Amino acid sequence: MESVILASGECDVSSEIICAPDDVLELFEFKDALFTIGPLHFTRTVVLIFLAMFIVLGLLWFGLRKGDKVPSRFAAAMEALVTFVKEDIAIGIIGPEGVKYAPYLLAVFMFVIVGNLFEVTPLINFPITSRMAIPLFISVVTWVIFVIVGFKKNGIRYVGDLIWPRSVPVALRPLVGLIEVVSTFILRPITLAVRLFANLVAGHLMLTLLLASGWIFMSSVGDIGARAIIGLPWFVFGLGIYVFEIVVAVLQAYIITLLSAVYVQTSVHPEH
Amino acid sequence: MEEIKGAIALVGYGLAAIGPGIGIGIVVGNAIQAMARQPEAAGMARTTMFLGIAFTEALALIGFVLFFIA
Repeated sequence: MESVILASGECDVSSEIICAPDDVLELFEFKDALFTIGPLHFTRTVVLIFLAMFIVLGLLWFGLRKGDKVPSRFAAAMEALVTFVKEDIAIGIIGPEGVKYAPYLLAVFMFVIVGNLFEVTPLINFPITSRMAIPLFISVVTWVIFVIVGFKKNGIRYVGDLIWPRSVPVALRPLVGLIEVVSTFILRPITLAVRLFANLVAGHLMLTLLLASGWIFMSSVGDIGARAIIGLPWFVFGLGIYVFEIVVAVLQAYIITLLSAVYVQTSVHPEH
Repeated sequence: MEEIKGAIALVGYGLAAIGPGIGIGIVVGNAIQAMARQPEAAGMARTTMFLGIAFTEALALIGFVLFFIA
């Protein structure tokens, strides 16, 4: 919680109109270990990563366990979620053989949606996906999967068709081939990671600056008198962004899963 | 001439946001048109719309990241 309050010491409420820390990285980096087990230092981010993992495991375990004759409302909701990822994303995008990739896509979807929703969870208020390590790791795993699948399904022609696309006029083939190779092997993983990362960074920044500014200005009404009214629009704006960020969190989890499926699909059926 | 102060990277991000802004407008507008004309194909149009948004948005996001590393 100190990170939210950090601006209060640095913020000069009598001359500024919004409270921002000198270095916004302070909002994302937690260098102090909360506790240490052997050589492992558990900072706030690491603890939240494990928390997200246990939440996902718990949701799936209690939602999908067999035994109940009549599924509870919670079990029905979890089943709808799993069916959505399996039917709409895996099979809908990749085709009938997409069932094989459904577990991976479900894992990505669940972990990212929980990590994203930490952003708007009271008392946590930090999206773990706004640390580049997590989006980058997910996109590297997706990259490895679609490259391996591409080679397995098409052999060496997977790269051959990318470098020398036969459906294009001969004169254009080197140019199109270069663009295809760069976009497939370099830009795809980068944009996949950056999309999630940048959305969550922007959201966390906006929420922290607006809500913290609103709170600091309004709570220092005794010192600055009528100037404290500046805090009110910041706070109202922040609450509006708060609702918007819930939508963004769910949508970005959906998009990273959808794009992972699309990238695998282009390796399974390269002619499309 | 007076000195102009501020981060040039902010201007860069503003420029980077123009194209994707127009692009997302076109994508969503056409998706709505498709859904209105063929409501039975709305599910497919929606999935493709999100894909189009995601690809278009990437350019703005690269600009956003450049703002931080510049």
